[in-house]
Amino acid sequence: MGDAQLFIDGAWGDAQSGETFPTYAPSTGEKIADVAKAGREDAARAVQAARKAFDEGPWPKMSGKERAEKLRAVADIINGRSAEIAEIEARDGGGTIKKAMFADVPGAVSTFQAFADCAENEPDIIERGESPFPPAKSIVRREPFGVCSGIVPWNFPFLMAGWKIGPAIAAGNTVVLKPASFTSLSAIEMVKAVEEADLPPGVVNLITGPGGSAGEEMAQHPLVDKVAFTGSTEVGRRIMQLASGTVKKVTLELGGKSANIVLDDADLDLAAAGVLWGTFFHNGQVCESGTRALVSRKIYDEFVGMLVERAGKIVIGDNMDMATDLGPLVSPSQVDTTERYVKLGLDEGAKLLCGGAKPTNLAAGLDQSAFYLPTIFEADNSMKIAQEEIFGPVLCVIPFDSDDEAIKIANDSIYGLGGGVWSKNVERAHSVAASMRTGTVWINDYHMITPTQPFGGYKQSGIGRELGDYGYNEYRQIKHVWQNTATDRNGYLHFAALSGNI
Amino acid sequence: MRVTGTAAAARIVEQAKRDRRGVLVFTIGTGCCESTAPFLYEDFWPGPDSEQVGEVAGVPVFAPEYLRALYPGNDGVTVDVTDDMAESMSIETEYGCRFVLRDPNGLPIDHQSEQVCDVPESVSALRARGPQELPEALRRVRMR
Repeated sequence: MGDAQLFIDGAWGDAQSGETFPTYAPSTGEKIADVAKAGREDAARAVQAARKAFDEGPWPKMSGKERAEKLRAVADIINGRSAEIAEIEARDGGGTIKKAMFADVPGAVSTFQAFADCAENEPDIIERGESPFPPAKSIVRREPFGVCSGIVPWNFPFLMAGWKIGPAIAAGNTVVLKPASFTSLSAIEMVKAVEEADLPPGVVNLITGPGGSAGEEMAQHPLVDKVAFTGSTEVGRRIMQLASGTVKKVTLELGGKSANIVLDDADLDLAAAGVLWGTFFHNGQVCESGTRALVSRKIYDEFVGMLVERAGKIVIGDNMDMATDLGPLVSPSQVDTTERYVKLGLDEGAKLLCGGAKPTNLAAGLDQSAFYLPTIFEADNSMKIAQEEIFGPVLCVIPFDSDDEAIKIANDSIYGLGGGVWSKNVERAHSVAASMRTGTVWINDYHMITPTQPFGGYKQSGIGRELGDYGYNEYRQIKHVWQNTATDRNGYLHFAALSGNI
Repeated sequence: MRVTGTAAAARIVEQAKRDRRGVLVFTIGTGCCESTAPFLYEDFWPGPDSEQVGEVAGVPVFAPEYLRALYPGNDGVTVDVTDDMAESMSIETEYGCRFVLRDPNGLPIDHQSEQVCDVPESVSALRARGPQELPEALRRVRMR
């Protein structure tokens, strides 16, 4: 039996095959749990449980206010266990305990609270006015889709689980969630909170495992109505194709190679810190990381000097220590990927300004193979390291001569997820922001994602939006109800259109 | 861009051929958690700008136009397999391994030859932990 089991139809249990897989603490390489390895049959069983809970259970018929109370209860339970969950999250995923305590766990709590507000306040029935002839009233009903599959990545496992479960159940859907296999443990804690809040069985189901067949089943099963995925662009395309068999609603939040633009009139002190934060937070393992710093040539030398000098001050080490800024990457293979790109950058002639290796002075007990130094290249936007998403601590600095050139470079990417503009001239910054083809732009800031504002991508960074009322409504169907208000044959057009004899 | 496969990768592909009934295709994709990597899918449409750039055990490998442009000519990129997990829904993840791209000639990257820049290295820390309290500035975060 695994330490971590599947949750299907309100009950915990092993995978049908009885198989498990290990999950490790990236910082030490130590195994911390055996997790149930779900197969296609387990995923199908979870989908069927979710279907039954939607078609026959009370959840979709409850009022928004009643569902909101349950979501707030989930938020309260998580909040009450925040220290314990933060520790699980940091240990399993390798992110710092600081990140888990200020971003992951409180972020998930506020996500459930924000979607509780949506369930309570967003109207289910919208009056759409009257039609003169034939005389009629129209209303639009917003209704849940049904069964929603949610597949989430390993970089923010707890928060992403909340982004998928929260809006889906707030809107009255039922859910099958699959966390990434590197990081299954905190999603289990979230589902425990759902269980403790006494949601009806089958409303939230959990599948763990590598996803080759369980994930396929969640994306293509005919009883699934909507699929939400966060991860890489190619896997997003795979999900769309699998979902196309029964024309499911799909929302995708995919890759990015976001530009952080530093104009010549920026506050360089704040901008330098902002660019480092934009790239190196969680070792660059963030989809909207600002991994391309576009820097005005007028301030280029001074600014790049500040970046390099300050990058050396970032504290790398034990991710469970509150004083640590950067822990390990999620796995040694993610370090291999980063190394491969550093070598590609050097081969292409990019100038390595700092980093470019694993740290050599880590304390005993830490797995040296899982860490990498913050790395800064001076690069050209056409290079592989400036075009491909590395998902490691690698920043490309690219100079520009005019705002127009900065915009052109920023938009020269298959992605369009995030971006930043640093300037003391707010009007100028907004003008640049308006020209950037991305789903989010931060002015004089970075990484600020809140549960009440929309998040998602342009171009190959995704479809649809998460969070806020926009994200909530991705989980609600739109039904137009037309009510003819006539009392006799004069109020209908079909007698004339077809025949007065009918 | 010309892509070939290692013998180890070919063995995994042969296993997938036995386990799956549909047509198998490699696609080299990019972004987010996987970075640029080969994915093995059943009955997959590689996309309007994808072209075949090689094969592994008879299974064609496709890559989109922008990746082909980044790897012009015969770069000798190989598909290899490592004993690791992945989140790609690629078929081999079922077998507890994942496909990866290797440098020319299939050689692993020589970590020793890498350049390290001369900047102050960050401080590492594995010491007795102090109080695990969040700094005040992070405790007052309230975003709407």
